[in-house]
Amino acid sequence: MTAPKTPNRFLIPSLLAAGISAQDGAQASLTYVTSTGADDPNAGTLFQTFKQDHEVTLAQHRSHSSHRSHSSHRSHSSHRSSAGGGVPYYTPSPSPPPPPPGPARLLDPVPRSTTPPGEQRATPPADPSADGNSLPALSGRTQRFAAIVRRVQIALLGQGYFDGPITGTVGPVTRGALRRFQQAAGIPVTGTITPETLDALRVSSE
Amino acid sequence: MIQLVLPAVAEGERPFIARLVRRREGGCNPAESYLLEEYSGGGAFVGQHGLIAVDGVPAGELDGDVVLVQPGRDRPGRIERLLRAGSMHNTLLITERCDQLCIMCSQPPKKTHVDRFDLLEAACLLAERGALIGISGGEPTLYKDQLLGMMERVLDARSDLEFHVLSNAQHFEAGDVERLRNPLYRRVSWGIPLYAAEPGLHDQIVGKADAFRRLEKSLAWLTIAGARVELRTVILRSNVDALPSLARYIATRLRFIEVWSIMQLENIGYARSRWPQLYVQHAENFRPIASALEQAALFGVRAQLFNFPRCTVPLLFRNVAMASISDWKRKYTPACADCRERDACCGFFEWHPEDAALAGVSPL
Repeated sequence: MTAPKTPNRFLIPSLLAAGISAQDGAQASLTYVTSTGADDPNAGTLFQTFKQDHEVTLAQHRSHSSHRSHSSHRSHSSHRSSAGGGVPYYTPSPSPPPPPPGPARLLDPVPRSTTPPGEQRATPPADPSADGNSLPALSGRTQRFAAIVRRVQIALLGQGYFDGPITGTVGPVTRGALRRFQQAAGIPVTGTITPETLDALRVSSE
Repeated sequence: MIQLVLPAVAEGERPFIARLVRRREGGCNPAESYLLEEYSGGGAFVGQHGLIAVDGVPAGELDGDVVLVQPGRDRPGRIERLLRAGSMHNTLLITERCDQLCIMCSQPPKKTHVDRFDLLEAACLLAERGALIGISGGEPTLYKDQLLGMMERVLDARSDLEFHVLSNAQHFEAGDVERLRNPLYRRVSWGIPLYAAEPGLHDQIVGKADAFRRLEKSLAWLTIAGARVELRTVILRSNVDALPSLARYIATRLRFIEVWSIMQLENIGYARSRWPQLYVQHAENFRPIASALEQAALFGVRAQLFNFPRCTVPLLFRNVAMASISDWKRKYTPACADCRERDACCGFFEWHPEDAALAGVSPL
């Protein structure tokens, strides 16, 4: 993984807050934009942090061990609107993404919202068109599966392990990339999208 | 009704077993897939075999279920909830082949067999602590050696588990006795259908010549092996009046059994189309059933009623009417809402004719 090479890394706090080093800023912006596009059923609230360099953190988000705490990262409703509708792949972001919604721990399904706990999951997720987008409401296994696979492919691309098209399906090229990445990361080599792989790729879920 | 098969998308091509877990505690267990994302009507899980996205039930309801994932290449992918968490009614289907063709078969057999023993064994090893796992078919003992091997390995690895196997007992032989004497088989019971003490009548119901004689032989071997046997008798128009004589046969010849289950018909499979010819309105004429229960009690054979709603059974025999219908296919009528014995009652099969169910219900 890349280490920050800029001594004054706190000069660009918003990028840093997004977990992006100066050197990797363009790349990270790219991944940010492409990973919160029209295919994301949650309009960016679920998968957004591609931390190319997890040494880069701000004080209030110091370590990954603090990710277990959710109380300090409650409100992220603003992030919902940050995902522009219909952004095509590989279009650079015109401006740096807003600060991240606090580090999320993978596989922790507790929804992060200001909804009172009793009301969570009582209704289907909000209609994406509610925040001004005219995106169709995506739901169902096929779209969810493809959306997650795309994020993994983009993350692998960002790390230089994948050079195929972002398809949302797991074919031989993606399996090969997963194996090479897993080997390099020192995690079990399966050629599949595993929890360890998502952790190591910093593909986090709320 | 609880859906046991759900549409799913998964990586790869080969089927695999996983326990679906809502919340990861600490490290990753290779046998588990963890909830990654919950969405309306489903959830995405991730584990060693990759990503699984399921539709059909809220992801939380799948927490702890041991599922068979079929990624699906030529046909749509799906998961089968083999061992649902917290359920007492989990049953594994060994094969869809059968060498009998019962007149009221609830699950008509198919000619083809898909060998899933490796997957089923992996699932059993992930079962909840203290689980009783049902084994069914088709006829599981058509693959007797594989079946026994699977159960022996599982019981050896998991001293907390038990099996209950539904078998027509057409395939036990002298050579099985030593094997079945293994103490592991104290945790296996065999549910074996016997429809009449009159050989011709039994053979006619199971659709196989000489089935009764072969069954007697198997029961003899099982006796010698000290096997635990539950006899099962579905009541039909053709055999209900012969129930008292069957009770005498069991009391005199088959005293070694653990329990005799007298069962009401399930309106599915062949029984659905033949319902009028087969179904006995037991509430209208309980006498042969009462007589059989009295015979059994007199001779110390434990007998019980399956699929008899408690309000349709005379008070004297109500205590042996068990809550027998599996949770996933059980329903109660609106009238049952106020019944004090509902929790002890079998209710009705999901597919039981609505009018027939409503007609006889009188809340207790």
